Amino acid sequence: MSSEQPLLTSRGITDAHDRLTKADELLAELQRQAGGTVPGTLAVPELLELVRHARQMDLKIARDFSAFDGYDIIRGFARIRPLQGSEGGGCELLLENWQRMEDTRSGSHDIAALLDAADRAAAEANGRLDARQHVQYLAADAPDTKALRDAIAAEPGGIWTRYVVVKDAPLQDPTHWRLVDSSRCTIPGSHRDWRVRLIPIGQSGDTPRAFEFLLIPDQPIADARAYDADGNDHSRLMGSSLAPALRAPITRIIENADTIRARLSGPLRDEYSEYAGHIVSAGAHLSGMLDDVQDLAVVEAPDFETAREPVDLHDAARRAADMLGVRARERGISLRLPDIEQPMVAVGEVRRVLQILINLLGNAIAHSPDGSTVTVEIEVERDGLLALFVRDEGNGIDPQYAERVFDKFTRLGQSDQSLGAGGSGLGLYISRHLAQAMGGTLVCVAAESGDWEGRGATFRLSLPKG
Amino acid sequence: MGDVVMDRTGQIAVEAAVREELVRANRELGGVAPTIAHRLQSSGQSLVSDAIVARLRGMLEHLAAQLLHLARDRSRPQRPDRESIDVLAGILAQDSAVLSHLYATAMESQLSERLEKRAALDPVLSPLLQELIGSDRRLTGELAGETLAAQSRFVQGQRRMQLAISELPAELFAGLLDEFSEASSAHEREGLARSIDALRESYDEATTRLGLLSRLLASIHEDVAATLELEDAGLALFASAIAAATQQPRDLIVLACHERQTVRLALGLRAAGQGDAAIDRQVSLLDPSDAVPAGIGAISPDRAASLLDAAYSPQRTDR
Repeated sequence: MSSEQPLLTSRGITDAHDRLTKADELLAELQRQAGGTVPGTLAVPELLELVRHARQMDLKIARDFSAFDGYDIIRGFARIRPLQGSEGGGCELLLENWQRMEDTRSGSHDIAALLDAADRAAAEANGRLDARQHVQYLAADAPDTKALRDAIAAEPGGIWTRYVVVKDAPLQDPTHWRLVDSSRCTIPGSHRDWRVRLIPIGQSGDTPRAFEFLLIPDQPIADARAYDADGNDHSRLMGSSLAPALRAPITRIIENADTIRARLSGPLRDEYSEYAGHIVSAGAHLSGMLDDVQDLAVVEAPDFETAREPVDLHDAARRAADMLGVRARERGISLRLPDIEQPMVAVGEVRRVLQILINLLGNAIAHSPDGSTVTVEIEVERDGLLALFVRDEGNGIDPQYAERVFDKFTRLGQSDQSLGAGGSGLGLYISRHLAQAMGGTLVCVAAESGDWEGRGATFRLSLPKG
Repeated sequence: MGDVVMDRTGQIAVEAAVREELVRANRELGGVAPTIAHRLQSSGQSLVSDAIVARLRGMLEHLAAQLLHLARDRSRPQRPDRESIDVLAGILAQDSAVLSHLYATAMESQLSERLEKRAALDPVLSPLLQELIGSDRRLTGELAGETLAAQSRFVQGQRRMQLAISELPAELFAGLLDEFSEASSAHEREGLARSIDALRESYDEATTRLGLLSRLLASIHEDVAATLELEDAGLALFASAIAAATQQPRDLIVLACHERQTVRLALGLRAAGQGDAAIDRQVSLLDPSDAVPAGIGAISPDRAASLLDAAYSPQRTDR
């Protein structure tokens, strides 16, 4: 036992409201590093909790305490003596064996770094503050940050709180950065909720040389085009704003439910695991609908365009069939592709053609009896078009509904619960829009006679020949 | 690639085994309080040994006697009668927080006695404590001296199955006084208030044995390794050291030193950074028949700590 590190003891007095009224140098420094003042409310959460506890019990307590002052871990032993009303009604603090050690809590730095990285990635305004928290520059391009940029351009170099309104703002400027870091704030001209980050740069002791300044919105900006003149096009709002915002929570629901289902966090009764399984599949369904709603917003946009590139329909059909192969095999359905060698090249956007084919094949599989065959055929048509047919052996579609299936929110085979339980009713509507945007068509080939029942359904996708 | 997968799978298997073991250990601990309450009121088969029950009963009666002593009529000094002690001890036994602490205290005493017999480990003065008393650092030396005195009082008291009320942790001390106050008649309470105030005023958690052990540990923080060797540190310091290193309640650590609870101890040691060999040394000293689950050393200290945390919380809400 011959370590030479001196053991330090520190003292302080709090009042009846847990404000540190007197403190010797060590404690005062910790208080300041934690963003507090002397006199001022005890700013070290670990000590504040102990002092409150002792005051409530009105007993002298003695506990280990450790606090993080932002750079190091302070460890020691806190002895707290509640004082009588005549002595101020607070507590006397005695911190023994005060020791400062490097933060070796593994991972905490890494996690902080990850959080910083996440905030940097999500920030829609970033800039730099000098040591006094005055804005040196700010870069932002979101439309609702224009007023902020203008304000800074008009009166540059002010303290950042002049341009951004911090919620529950502390009293004085400049506030210790730790106290405002991650605060909620509002930006003039923006309806969104924002969070501010002050990440110190090149710190030397207590005072950073400068700060990285980030403004992170809580919501993505609503697509300006989603609003009509009166600002109330709700369907577009759903696709462009709401759907992305819903994505994260739904993904989390699915992930968590899946964790429960797989019993990753511990043993669980079978029923609960099953319920979790239901949550997963319902969540997956919801997530699929979100995809559709988002696509809907895209295809309905007035300026929606597709790329013009050569698309080998044969190859696209094969890729779509590969993707749906598992689903088909589960039901014993075979997918028969055209038996041809040469490429059948159309003009369109590969990704979109694939999306249409997946939709058509998916529908065909869903409406086919077990053990049947879904056939894909490709033909060259006379007027410079290529046609791709998807045929199933299901019940077929009543000719009088042949057009209605392309309406929004129509679901095929709605009377049949077991089959109709699937989609959002948007698939064919979106597919037809996509086909039309590529200069093609998508139709349901009506049966020739009235005798349509049990004859299967056929869809024809036509695209300009390449 | 294949190796990585094997390691990961191996680790998952070890963790699964350890987790299962913790659940089992928790179940056993969870059954303790109701069993003790039951044993104190009746005789019959029990998980709790007679020796432990006797210690508990002794401590409860001693606490009750100390409280009744506060209420004694100063004009007619007399010893509290047997019957009042029994009644009050029965009331105190209903406080499961107090009971759990007393249980851990009884276990600590029993374990130290066993270690004294088995490993010639002095329950009062361990080699490390002796070294600390001679420390060239004044505060450490003083604290070590005070700790020795407190430990010696504690051991002596335990031999008589006694526990001084001012040795309790602050929350339990406060709770006990409140319960006593409530159990007294309004007439008694008046005279009692002043005695209780005086007792509260003289109470200082920092001078309790447990407080001193923690302070002593805080003062030698850089020499933490020595405190994690049971044979050097002695059970009292050893338990406090693991508790401090893992942020787990000390009582729980003491119980972890008990037979069939050693997986918790092993994880605690791992969380404090100890390797397989060191863990084995401690466990085999406590319970030569018990085997540490293989592969504890492969779990990272962080992971060990989070397994302990996870196992600690359900125990409180399990039932």
